[in-house]
Amino acid sequence: MSAVTSGGQSWWQQLGAMMLKESKQVIRDPSSWIIAVVLPLIFLFLFGYGISLDTTIVKIAVVREDDSREAEDLAATLTHSRWFLVVPASDRHAGEGLLQDQKVKAVVIIPAEFGRFLHAQNTTAKLQVLVDGSEPNTANFVHGYMSVLWSEFLAARGFEQGAALVAPIGVEARYWYNANAVSRWFLIPGSMTVIMTLLGTLLTSLVIAREWERGTLEALYATPLTRGQILIGKSLPYFILAMISMLVCVLTALLLFELPLRGSLLALGLISAVFLVPALGQGLLISVTMKSQMAAAQLGLMTGFLPATMLSGFLFDINSMPLWLQAITLVIPARYMNVSLQTVFLAGDLWSVLIPNMLFMLAVGALFYGLTWWRLQKRLD
Amino acid sequence: MLRDPRARFTLLVPPIMQLFIFSFAATMEVKNISLAIVDLDRGPYAVSIEERLRGSRSFARLPRYESVAAARAALERERVIAILVLQSGFSANLAAGRPASVQLLLDGRRSNASQITAQYVSNIVGDTQRELSASPAALSAQAAPPAVVGATLAPNTDMVIDNWFNPNLEYRWFMLPNLVGMLSLAVALMVTALSVARERELGTFDQTLVSPATPIEIVIGKLLPSLLVASVQTTLYLLIVTVIFGVPFRGSLWMFYAAVLTFAAACAGVGLFISSLVYTQQQAFLGAFTVLLPFALLSGFATPLENMPVWLQFITTINPLAHMVRIMQGLFLKGASFASLVRELERLLEIALCTWTAAVLLFRRKAA
Repeated sequence: MSAVTSGGQSWWQQLGAMMLKESKQVIRDPSSWIIAVVLPLIFLFLFGYGISLDTTIVKIAVVREDDSREAEDLAATLTHSRWFLVVPASDRHAGEGLLQDQKVKAVVIIPAEFGRFLHAQNTTAKLQVLVDGSEPNTANFVHGYMSVLWSEFLAARGFEQGAALVAPIGVEARYWYNANAVSRWFLIPGSMTVIMTLLGTLLTSLVIAREWERGTLEALYATPLTRGQILIGKSLPYFILAMISMLVCVLTALLLFELPLRGSLLALGLISAVFLVPALGQGLLISVTMKSQMAAAQLGLMTGFLPATMLSGFLFDINSMPLWLQAITLVIPARYMNVSLQTVFLAGDLWSVLIPNMLFMLAVGALFYGLTWWRLQKRLD
Repeated sequence: MLRDPRARFTLLVPPIMQLFIFSFAATMEVKNISLAIVDLDRGPYAVSIEERLRGSRSFARLPRYESVAAARAALERERVIAILVLQSGFSANLAAGRPASVQLLLDGRRSNASQITAQYVSNIVGDTQRELSASPAALSAQAAPPAVVGATLAPNTDMVIDNWFNPNLEYRWFMLPNLVGMLSLAVALMVTALSVARERELGTFDQTLVSPATPIEIVIGKLLPSLLVASVQTTLYLLIVTVIFGVPFRGSLWMFYAAVLTFAAACAGVGLFISSLVYTQQQAFLGAFTVLLPFALLSGFATPLENMPVWLQFITTINPLAHMVRIMQGLFLKGASFASLVRELERLLEIALCTWTAAVLLFRRKAA
């Protein structure tokens, strides 16, 4: 602790000396580098490969109780579709067993006399589908696939028999910014937000709480440094560290996951820098409030990391949440960061989107810094 | 540990708050959709589709725009998630019996919500078409409930879809049983890892090590509190999830507690193993976190395991949460029998034994 003690220096010289000392302290600690470079890589890697909402191939069982040509055609339609992997099941009971044991996601039962009923006038040809509802997302996809295949089957049959259906209305869906609707493209910018929150908020709060536990922070207050100088001096090294890891994340995203960067690097850098203001501010606020590492870790996890994962629109759509919860997300900086990152990566420099989001982040950041400043005063009395 | 009222508070209150918040936040359902409509057709068929959209509960706002360009600006700002364009000539084509189509432009930045929106819209368009084929005169159709999948296309066919285990496909029924596992993982792992690391920083752990207690006794002493905390917490969760949220519990309570205790032992084992490797609380925290996040992600807790690459799926066999999620799904929703879950339980026990043995060995080496 060779902090500035002589009184003759200017405010800026004092600040410079403090920042130099803090930066040296961070740079010399090898764990800082592990945190800035290795952790983001591991996390981004796991996020990129581990989380995917794109339902790939669904295993289903087909039970055929009917031997007619129509039943055979329908079974073939299912087998040849690119969405399903069909597992044969001898009878209804076996199919239900497969569903209960989670071996398949759905059982399609083509009942006896399906073919005959299809042609008869006063009967209804029924197709029965049992779906595993325990994973609603996958179940919804199965519903969608089944109704498409069922319509295709019926349409093909309708044309064969020359029966005219009303001219079909097609829906031409086009995804802007993400033509193939790859979920990874929207999850990776979100993962970056989570990683930055982890560094900015959790790590900062933990490191500074450690200084409280060891008493080195009180020593810092004994110096003539002002509260503002201490806050800036403490933030800056972590700011630089987080910017480095952001760079690591961006490079990984572009090179390994082949995410497009349609906006400019300048905008990306600006957003990251602005996001770090509330993230670091929150970390500082937690550390001056809790003062013990255990408590800081818990609070950081609860107010920083978990909201960044659950309430930022990273995985779960904010618009679908109840209104009171949507109101809570307004003070979560990760929310604004998420939209901004997704926009810069996928859409480009849409300043009309980015500027309001950055202003919100700065406002939340100012709130956190202000509260920290105020708490520090109480501490010094 | 339990004598400290603050510790008691932090062990019980935050997890319950999390359970409440996450049960509302964690949903893959898409509601309150804002969809922009650009109607360049102004014909009767376009109106019919619009009316159906207004009648659907999924769509909260359907602002109209004069041009695609104006709607695009709204989409850019995320005011709407998609734009439905009805080109001019749409109704004329349909009336003449020619195929026609609507354009749907979606925000790919939110690809999952967009895809679901696309499904809703095509269901509604499909319904409109079916109604027209049933009675072409019924153009000014009254508001109808959202699409029923499997409605009849031709008069004498029918597809009946039954959802087992979760008839209305409520996302909460899927999420809450998983959260029971997820939240107790976080607590058991963090508490063990950090508390041992703190004792080590304060030096009290070395005192325990030089005391006549054997490493095995010390380890058991560390195990008991986390088992206790886990059983109290999960009992509370079980009550909240079933009584307040109305999720069915169809399995056996014995199996539930057997799973909870084994799972807590496995998690505490992982925590203890981490704490035997590190020296400071900060390292313990980072270590616990580095393990916690992959465990959570690679468990099927939020996103289906089947979507992952095969080499990652292999890792899930050593992940206690992946087994716990399967047990909880089985117990809550499926009423699975003991026999069908016993393999998962065995796996949990194996993980617990491995991590505890490794931790004991490491502590013994340090004590020596």
